[in-house]
Amino acid sequence: MDSLVVLTVLTWFAVIALMYLKYSVMADAAPICSYGQATCHVPSLADLFDRVIQQSSRMHGISTDLHSEFDHYLPSKNFIGKQRCHTYAILTPDDKEKAQRLGREQLTEVILRLLMAWGDPLSQLHWSMSQDQNQDFNQYRSNKALEISDIVRELKDGVIKVAERMKRLGLNGNFVSYISPENVDPFSAISFYKRGELNSVDHQDLLYCFRRDSHKVKTYLRILKCSTFPTLDC
Amino acid sequence: MTEIVKCALLLALFSVPCTRGTRYSPPDKPKLTSCRSPEKETFTCWWQPGHDGGLPTTYALYYLKDNSDTIYECPDYHTAGENSCFFNKNDTSVWVNYNITVVATNALGSNFSDPEDVDVAYIVQPHTPENVTVNVMEDKGWPFLRVSWESPHKADIRSGWITLIYELRVKLEGEEEWEEHHAGQQKMFNIFSIRSGSTYLVQVRCKPDHGFWSEWSSTTYVKVPEYFFRERSLWILVMIFSSFTLIILLWIVHMNSHSLKHCLLPPVPGPKIKGFDQQIFKNGRSDEILSALMVPNFPPTKSSNYEDLLVEYLEVYVSEEQELILEESKDSCLKSDSSTCDSDSGRGSCDSHTLLTDKCGEAKRERRASGEDSGMTIESQKGWEEEALSYTQEDVATPDVSSRRVKTWPSVFSTVPQYTTSPLDQKTSLELSKQHCLSDTLFPPGSSTKEVLGPNYWEFDLSNKQSHLPQPQTHGSQQLQAHSDVNISYTGNKQVPALLQLPGFKSTEYVEVQKVNQEDMVILQPVESDNCGRDEECPHVLQGEDYSKVKGVGSDNLLLLQSGVKARMGDEMEANGVSESCYTSSSFATTQKHIDSMHSATIPGQEEPIRATTGYVDTTTMFTLPMY
Repeated sequence: MDSLVVLTVLTWFAVIALMYLKYSVMADAAPICSYGQATCHVPSLADLFDRVIQQSSRMHGISTDLHSEFDHYLPSKNFIGKQRCHTYAILTPDDKEKAQRLGREQLTEVILRLLMAWGDPLSQLHWSMSQDQNQDFNQYRSNKALEISDIVRELKDGVIKVAERMKRLGLNGNFVSYISPENVDPFSAISFYKRGELNSVDHQDLLYCFRRDSHKVKTYLRILKCSTFPTLDC
Repeated sequence: MTEIVKCALLLALFSVPCTRGTRYSPPDKPKLTSCRSPEKETFTCWWQPGHDGGLPTTYALYYLKDNSDTIYECPDYHTAGENSCFFNKNDTSVWVNYNITVVATNALGSNFSDPEDVDVAYIVQPHTPENVTVNVMEDKGWPFLRVSWESPHKADIRSGWITLIYELRVKLEGEEEWEEHHAGQQKMFNIFSIRSGSTYLVQVRCKPDHGFWSEWSSTTYVKVPEYFFRERSLWILVMIFSSFTLIILLWIVHMNSHSLKHCLLPPVPGPKIKGFDQQIFKNGRSDEILSALMVPNFPPTKSSNYEDLLVEYLEVYVSEEQELILEESKDSCLKSDSSTCDSDSGRGSCDSHTLLTDKCGEAKRERRASGEDSGMTIESQKGWEEEALSYTQEDVATPDVSSRRVKTWPSVFSTVPQYTTSPLDQKTSLELSKQHCLSDTLFPPGSSTKEVLGPNYWEFDLSNKQSHLPQPQTHGSQQLQAHSDVNISYTGNKQVPALLQLPGFKSTEYVEVQKVNQEDMVILQPVESDNCGRDEECPHVLQGEDYSKVKGVGSDNLLLLQSGVKARMGDEMEANGVSESCYTSSSFATTQKHIDSMHSATIPGQEEPIRATTGYVDTTTMFTLPMY
């Protein structure tokens, strides 16, 4: 009886040890490096691109979901004669040829500008949504808004890494990683939409703009990747 | 712009006289149904006209771009067909909000549709995938379909402007349900679960990651040829299953082989003693055995067929030349317990040992009966042992040697040598045999305690002997000791007489005493009617009724046989002196001389108190000591 117990315990230990070894080996196979670890497996540029594109696609998907949640019958403001989105100043190519003619460095810059322009407004959006007590399903929206703002931040860092890697590889010669912020005032972006507290109409406008810009980012990133790694099926 | 148009139309309407008589009216409001872009570079808008009001009506499409004030009209009304507007590359801007309105105009007026906001980025619906090819391929004998296609030629995937994901569906010809598969961004897909010999229909469609699904491509038909492998796999499965069943059946048969054997090949039943249950012996309960052995009419007094009884009797010859013939049903009793033959097995199917065993039982019964008749105490062979034991203990009594016959003991003890493998076995065998033989011992109800204790005592002794068995064997291995009873050592030290197997001993009834060695041991040898034993001269086997029980062993190595009438005193067995040798034969009086003397020295009338009523005398077959 005792021997049985001992045997069982030993077997469990062996199993656990094996699992640990296996997973540690797996981890060693492709660890995510951060700042100069010796046994790091450095991801390639293609891997970086794939990850970034994945994130941008997800970001666009969430923004589409959020935007579709709003009542479509909300009367949109009359935008005739004025700009709708606060990123109107960022010149973005609205054509395939224009985008291809822009070049890698400028395209990267456009992407970064867009991403940086949306960091604060999204935080504001999340904060504003969480404050809204009227709607029951606001919690879902608030969580989504928070998720979006996180993704935007990560995506920005990712794109910077991609750009730096490209520069190291000689693909992004003129790229300047430091981009002067568009607006000094952190609240000026959101004030484009409304001064003071945002309401649900403002939310809708904000999300409309963000949805569009996220689509731009996604498309530009894809063009960037396919121009860097030209294959038949990019 | 729209206001101006409206005013102009109203004026036109009012200017027209209303006295035409026909019912004309301004057109109904048109409706912008959809706008679609196949590749995110151009787009087309369609509208649905309302009732034209009976007058020729024209339609126009106007749009605003991204909240500017400039009104634009549709550049191309014809490329995309009726009631459509096609925007070419130059006029298309992505991520720009188009505010589109359709106007229907006839002579009486115009009507405006509701404006729609359109962003080219979100209205992408590509064309269907092209060049859908399906091939039947083989993977380890199993067929599968490989579907491959190309993206619609207009969608620019290479530059990454559009990213398409694909979906395909398959169904068997004649069925209703489609089986859909998601293919992601790849342009090839394998379908494995297909049936050979059928025709399949395959269709593919695509969509941008955020957009609308295209139409299903035109159906591609594919016929899968017959594959034999599939059928073969069925046969393999069937064979495996049947082989498993066969193995299980064989195993069941093997497990029940014994009962099957009995069922199919029933053993030949052998003669049974009427009214006698062999099982009683095996149970070993003396009460039952005694009662079972109580046969009123037995033994037959007249014309007794001593031939039958012959086997059970041990005939002892006392003569100078002749040796003591001891009949031993050698392994009978012992073997009976351990034999595989059951009570139903015929004599022929068992070895003769078994035969003897049965007869041993019978003999016991007979003896018992005769003993009763004669008034003698019936002793079983065990009784003799007991007696011997008792003698041993008290240094008693010389066994009386019957010249004729000594009760045969079941060769309980003789079997012991056979089991020299382990003392335990021997002990067991001994005890078993003992049980067997003793079981039918009849103890008179008023038997003394000694009698009762006899078996137990005897057993105990036997067990002791058993433990010593190997020893004596090694020492005095030359001699064969008379088995069973003989094995009982009468000596006080209870040394176990070596139980040696009589060489070549068959299950004959007689045992011939070959000689008596120096150690006062009787060497027994089996006697065959056919062949002689070791000695040249065949022992003269006395078949007869005479038998006597050995009362004990005398001090002078004499067998003390007890007759019904008189007890003869024999020499005392030199139990002590014959320490390690087997004492089995010692009970029979060691030396011929002694035997002779015993014979001559019969002391009639001397009734030795028999310690245990182990001795018995067959009254009818009263031995008569041959006078030599």
